[in-house]
Amino acid sequence: MATKRKKKTAHKRRPAPARKRRWPGRLWRLFLLFCGISLGLLAPWVLYLNYQVTTEFEGRKWDLPSRVYARALEVYPGALLTLPDLRVELEAAGYREAKSVTQPGQFRMQGGTVEVWRRGFRFQDGLEGEQHVELVLTGQSVKSVRAASNGQELGLFRLEPAEIASIYPLEKEDRTLVRIADVPPLLVTGLQAVEDRNFKHHPGVDARGIARAAWANLRAGKAVQGGSTLTQQLVKNYFLTHERTVLRKVNEAIMAILLEIHYDKAEILEAYLNEVFLGQQGAYAVHGFGRAAEFYFDEPLKDLDPEQVALLVGLVKGASFYNPRRHPERAKARRDQVLADFAETGLLTPEAARAAAERPLGVTPSPRTRGTRYLSFVDLVRRQLSQVYAEDDLRSEGLRVFTTLAPFEQEKAQAAVSRGLADLAQRGLSADLQGALVLADTATGEVRALVGDRDGDRPGFNRAIHARRQVGSVIKPLVYLLALEHPDSYNLLTRIEDAPIPLRQPDGSTWSPDNFDKVSHGRVSLLEALTLSYNQATVRLGLEVGVNSMVSRIAQLGVNADVDPVPSVFLGAVELTPLEVTQVYQSLANGGFSVPLRSVVAVQTPGGDELVRYPMRLLPQPHREAIGVLNYALTQVVERGTAKALPGLLGKSLTVAGKTGTTNDRRDSWFVGYTRNRVAAAWVGLDDNRPAGVTGSNAAMQLWARLFRDLAVEPVDLRVPDGAHYLWVDAANGKLSAEGCPGAVQLPYVDGSEPRDTTACGATAQEKDKESLWKKWFGRDDQ
Amino acid sequence: MNFRVAGLAAGLSLLLAACASAPPPGPGPSVVDERVRQPAREESAGVQVFPLENPAVAELMADASSAELEGRHEQAAMLLERALRIQPRNPELLQSMAEVQLQLRDYDQAMGFASRSYDLGPRVGELCSRNWRTIGVAREYLDDERGAAEAEQHARACKITKPEGL
Repeated sequence: MATKRKKKTAHKRRPAPARKRRWPGRLWRLFLLFCGISLGLLAPWVLYLNYQVTTEFEGRKWDLPSRVYARALEVYPGALLTLPDLRVELEAAGYREAKSVTQPGQFRMQGGTVEVWRRGFRFQDGLEGEQHVELVLTGQSVKSVRAASNGQELGLFRLEPAEIASIYPLEKEDRTLVRIADVPPLLVTGLQAVEDRNFKHHPGVDARGIARAAWANLRAGKAVQGGSTLTQQLVKNYFLTHERTVLRKVNEAIMAILLEIHYDKAEILEAYLNEVFLGQQGAYAVHGFGRAAEFYFDEPLKDLDPEQVALLVGLVKGASFYNPRRHPERAKARRDQVLADFAETGLLTPEAARAAAERPLGVTPSPRTRGTRYLSFVDLVRRQLSQVYAEDDLRSEGLRVFTTLAPFEQEKAQAAVSRGLADLAQRGLSADLQGALVLADTATGEVRALVGDRDGDRPGFNRAIHARRQVGSVIKPLVYLLALEHPDSYNLLTRIEDAPIPLRQPDGSTWSPDNFDKVSHGRVSLLEALTLSYNQATVRLGLEVGVNSMVSRIAQLGVNADVDPVPSVFLGAVELTPLEVTQVYQSLANGGFSVPLRSVVAVQTPGGDELVRYPMRLLPQPHREAIGVLNYALTQVVERGTAKALPGLLGKSLTVAGKTGTTNDRRDSWFVGYTRNRVAAAWVGLDDNRPAGVTGSNAAMQLWARLFRDLAVEPVDLRVPDGAHYLWVDAANGKLSAEGCPGAVQLPYVDGSEPRDTTACGATAQEKDKESLWKKWFGRDDQ
Repeated sequence: MNFRVAGLAAGLSLLLAACASAPPPGPGPSVVDERVRQPAREESAGVQVFPLENPAVAELMADASSAELEGRHEQAAMLLERALRIQPRNPELLQSMAEVQLQLRDYDQAMGFASRSYDLGPRVGELCSRNWRTIGVAREYLDDERGAAEAEQHARACKITKPEGL
């Protein structure tokens, strides 16, 4: 029947129906064709998107900037530390001064008492929790360290180190990764309440959400709400560009669905929490809630209060529009709206939400500085790291780099260079003078401060590391060291001739070095020639010890530089950087134990696993007894030699050892000096190597003195090692003498270099001495 | 009988030593105790030099010594380095570092720290003896037998010879 009727009908409408019958058929075929082509295209397209989603999301790894830390300040009773220095350290570590200390990251200073609430930190050797302490400082040092809670005395407290730099990924994203388990629950639920209430149930796109948004937009006559789910937002940020096209929207929806098929909600949310853009610091984009918490509140994410969580959640909508530092009112309105949403969805009680809305934004006035401080020093860090790590790893692996920088010493060093040079300009020297300063711990070889430009924070040419300049007389002590290493021939009072000495040059010409004062001084002692820096005597002595021994001694002291074995080496025709000069003197300052200078002590993964450590290594130098004797002579340079203006500049009585250096035509000014605990080299000159009118004492020494005037330093240790000893001698004729005899001085001698003759007074005294040996023994024991 | 067993054991251990590719075992804690600390203590009975101790350093040294007892020598070295930043010239501390370096089989560093300790220390008594014994053991492991014998002599000379009566 039906067939019949159909046929009949078909038959009835014959002429046209033939077409009619054909059209649906055609349409159908066209439709099928369309579907076929679409499927043929769509299927591979979806497959392609699926591939993209799975591979990229599976192997998702954010590039994390590496963090560079200063050294951790150790505070203990007796530690040399002044209140201003402690303040610099606290501020560098991002502490804020408060009227009362109520949370980690705050401090309070009242008189000599400093209350500090340290944050928890994973130090190089392990995690230490937060700690609330009270420190008492008296002038130059720490008197006591007590727990704030019960007043219990603590032997040792350390401040977490200042973060001095970040080495960022090339795409300039800053991020601190968080795991969803460590995120405050209110953030997890609150984010959904505000951005995507149906997150738990939708398959990646949310039809109801889109409809609701469309309705709201329609009513408002403009786009006021977005219908994107958190998954779509993640896809947009993660895989797609920001252009607004239909194709992109479609891709976004497909990818969101695919993402939901492959991964569970927690994984997606965790990715979102780390990916979302929440602010901008200079050239660096702040991504993720972990970093945002640090950026806005200087607190770890897990410690945030409800109103702080609400502020961050509110920023998702527009981090620059609601920037709480730039538009606090806008930000507060947005935050309070979010708090209302929290209350509406039952995440907070209405009372709690109201109370939270009454609190201030709590945003720090400015983010803790990142990557902008102490550029010269960070240069050195990069150089040391580049021996182990590729630049890419530093930019992406989130490494924790522990360095040796002491913020308060670095600040002083920078000030010493910039103010010192400004002062020299006022005194008539060129305003274009440049300077460099390297300060290291004598015993550990740890570089505490490094300045490579007169403007400490200016990027660019780092003279402390890269400027190879002639060192002039700064090298001379090595000539005397080599002489003292031959005790059968030399002691400090051995006479040498300071007289013109013509030298045949490689090109056949003759060169005869002048003294600085253009005068030859005749027969002088080694001590006098060194302290007064006589060129002619030094060259003569140098020729006696041999130019090749000189070249190898420089290498032995830890400097890897090309040195021509020519006699001008004795007068400093050697090009070294301030850092290398510091290395040479570190060995002298540390009793002949070289320690390779270090700026990095350890590198760890973001989780705290050690990747590499640079332990302190001692490399004993040969002839330490001669180094001990030289050490004394270098204190005499300061006491009566070319650096005798130094004590006045320091304004304190302190045994310091050092050496000035000036190069030809006054192009370079050097001063290298040390105390028991610090060694530093300062250089001043012009970048283009023109004559600059500088001498060791009129320029570099001024910078050095400015730094050391303000440092807690200890006097040079004048004790000599085994193989050397002090004797009373007659300074004028070098004969053995005795305490109390006219002209007698106490000088160190390498064993075997003692004078053979004795003065008359000395001989009598020695006889008496023998008699009173017993008395001497017990007289000493009684003390 | 005993000799035979001992001979067998010696033979076996030689055989094992020949097979093993790992370096011979370094000086363990017992070596440091038996060959450095104990003889130093015995020889210098009655003559002790106690450097003034800073509580912070004392705390770190105590931690380092527990780490050492537990065989965590790297950790001990790290703690001692921290203490050395506070008191880089404390001879006791430098010698402790030398003994830890010995157990870490870094013989050059063991000698370096022991020499530094000697230079800065009293150069007599127990610490002096520990200095030279450490140097001696390190030289032995570096196959410097003459040097080791010299160090042994130095160690013996650390005994304070009290002045004879007139």
